[in-house]
Amino acid sequence: MDAGLLAIGAGLAVGLAAIGTGLAQGKIGAAGAGAVAEKPELVGTMIVLLAIPETMIILGFAVAAIILFVK
Amino acid sequence: MLVKMTKIQIIGTRDVVDQTVKALHRAGVVQIEEKLPSVDPLALDDVAARQRDEMTLLVARLEALLALLPKRPPPGDMAARYDAEASRSTGDVLAETKNALAQLDAPAQNLARRRDELQADQVTLPRYATTMRQLMPLAADLEPLQHYETVALLVERKFAAVLEMFREELPGITNNQFEFVSRDIDKDTTAAIIVFSREHSAAVHNLIGRESISQVRLPEELTNVPFQEALKTIETRLASIPKELEKLNRELDALANEWHARLSVWGAVLRDRLQELEVRGRFGATAYTFVVGGWMPRQRVPELRALLAREVGDQILLEEVPVTEHDLEHAPVVMSNPGPAKPFEYLVRMMALPRYGTIDPTPIMAIFLPIFFGMILGDVGYGVIVLLGALYLARKAKPGGFRSLLIVILYCSIWSIAFGFLYGEFFGELGEKLFHMHPYFPRGQSVVALFIFSLAFGVVQISLGFALGIYQAAKLHQRHELLDRVAKVIALIGVFGLVAVSANYLPKELTTPSIGIVIVGTVLLMYTLGWIGILLGPIEILTTLGNILSYLRLAAIGLSSVYLALVANELAGVLGGGIVGIIVGALFHALNIALGILSPTIQSLRLHYVEFFGKFYEGGGTDFAPFKRENIM
Repeated sequence: MDAGLLAIGAGLAVGLAAIGTGLAQGKIGAAGAGAVAEKPELVGTMIVLLAIPETMIILGFAVAAIILFVK
Repeated sequence: MLVKMTKIQIIGTRDVVDQTVKALHRAGVVQIEEKLPSVDPLALDDVAARQRDEMTLLVARLEALLALLPKRPPPGDMAARYDAEASRSTGDVLAETKNALAQLDAPAQNLARRRDELQADQVTLPRYATTMRQLMPLAADLEPLQHYETVALLVERKFAAVLEMFREELPGITNNQFEFVSRDIDKDTTAAIIVFSREHSAAVHNLIGRESISQVRLPEELTNVPFQEALKTIETRLASIPKELEKLNRELDALANEWHARLSVWGAVLRDRLQELEVRGRFGATAYTFVVGGWMPRQRVPELRALLAREVGDQILLEEVPVTEHDLEHAPVVMSNPGPAKPFEYLVRMMALPRYGTIDPTPIMAIFLPIFFGMILGDVGYGVIVLLGALYLARKAKPGGFRSLLIVILYCSIWSIAFGFLYGEFFGELGEKLFHMHPYFPRGQSVVALFIFSLAFGVVQISLGFALGIYQAAKLHQRHELLDRVAKVIALIGVFGLVAVSANYLPKELTTPSIGIVIVGTVLLMYTLGWIGILLGPIEILTTLGNILSYLRLAAIGLSSVYLALVANELAGVLGGGIVGIIVGALFHALNIALGILSPTIQSLRLHYVEFFGKFYEGGGTDFAPFKRENIM
């Protein structure tokens, strides 16, 4: 396939996944910061919750890499 | 590892209560539980109750006094001093403490108060002095008059119209008995001084108050003194403060030198005695015997038994009580891991303390976490910098959470260096360019291989997690969890089979059996979850697969760090490689190192907390809080 289209596809895979992750992390981060301010012992749980949406962008990255590198 | 705990019960005759409490306190290995509601409490006699009240008060006063005195490190012979004081009778220590407090309280409070006042003056007086110096040119024109009051005002230039208004209104208010001068003292302030007869004081202040203008207020004792004199007084006082402060501090130091150690020892002894009295509230009693129960590490039972026999004698009986599963759920938790794995306990605690009877993941985390970190960062140069930084900080840090974290980072950096050699990275590709480092596994070029490598870690750790989960569920007789995990493992085996077939590791004929295994697993999971399982079963299987795919982050985050390092070097190259280039490159590398500590730590932690712990971990344990002497060192 056209190399340009492949590159656009890879870009979309990373970019759209990043938007999703960003939206989710923004909300979680705001709520988490509030929770940790009141109960500092929740910091572990907070990190976990904050890191959960990151799977999306990482899978997006994996898809992009497969588009670009796997022939 | 979680230490094996056992529930014990101690029964003895009432005449040995004192010795028993002391022995238990010294041993410091038993967490004393509330007595059973069906047993009568062991009441304190009047003397002891009075002593307890007196001690509570004295300890509070003593701590307040210690807070006033400058801090002193505990002397080397603290333990000996403690023993000497602890061997005396409570009454004697109480009396001596009370005497000392009576003698010290007033002078120490006095000194501290005067010190605080002087320090406050040191901050506020210069502010007065500045303002007064500004007003000086105005004040010089005014004769100090008796029966007259002087008010100084500072007005922002843009509000200067107010002053005109004053000039118009003052004659009416004061019957023309006033003097009003104003002058611009700097580019945005105008100063004014009003002198007026005391009988109109209220009216003038009313006027000033109405316009809410900031009046220059002097310390009370200076309000009725002429300006020049007041300024002079302030200046002399300011000059004398450092010397006075030094003198006060010397006196406080002298007090601390003489008393701090003694007071701390008394405080420790009294707090311990107080604990010994208060713990009796948890003892049960009959007419002639007492009974107390608690949790302790099973291993230390013989030791405690021997201690009780030696210090109390044979009028006491220590026995292990059979426990129900319900009891065990509430057993206190002590984590005990070999030295190198110990710092990782802090990370497990950050999630939650494991419940008693479940698996403590600390040792496994100690193995995997540094490897994951190393795999992500994977750079000899970064690794060495992180290693040195962590070493330096860990040597300075006090024992505690932060230090544990530094030691964890230390292990992580060693793996980073190891992976750095494997990837052939030294500040990115700089090593290859500068000293022809040979990459055994260039991760920038073999992305797919790196992905498979990461997924392999996922398969290993998730399988391990399931194995632990199944073992734990079987041990704790959790039928539901057991079935759930077995079902997921079966489905996973099927998926692995399919992957192996599609990668030509297994013959094509195994496709159908693999699909069959996936279906068996899924159906079993649906059955375990009940009706909702028809919907949730397949989703849960997909989530489990997602958990394995999540390990792709080991590759992905690592690659982003490679590219950042590449950018740093390229940018330095583009800028000509001169001094500017090196500085810019170094800045980028510094940023990459900062990210390179933070994000691999969080990502590896997350892989443990979410993906790995999710398969078996049960938090909600309570910390073991033994009845023991205060650590005074």
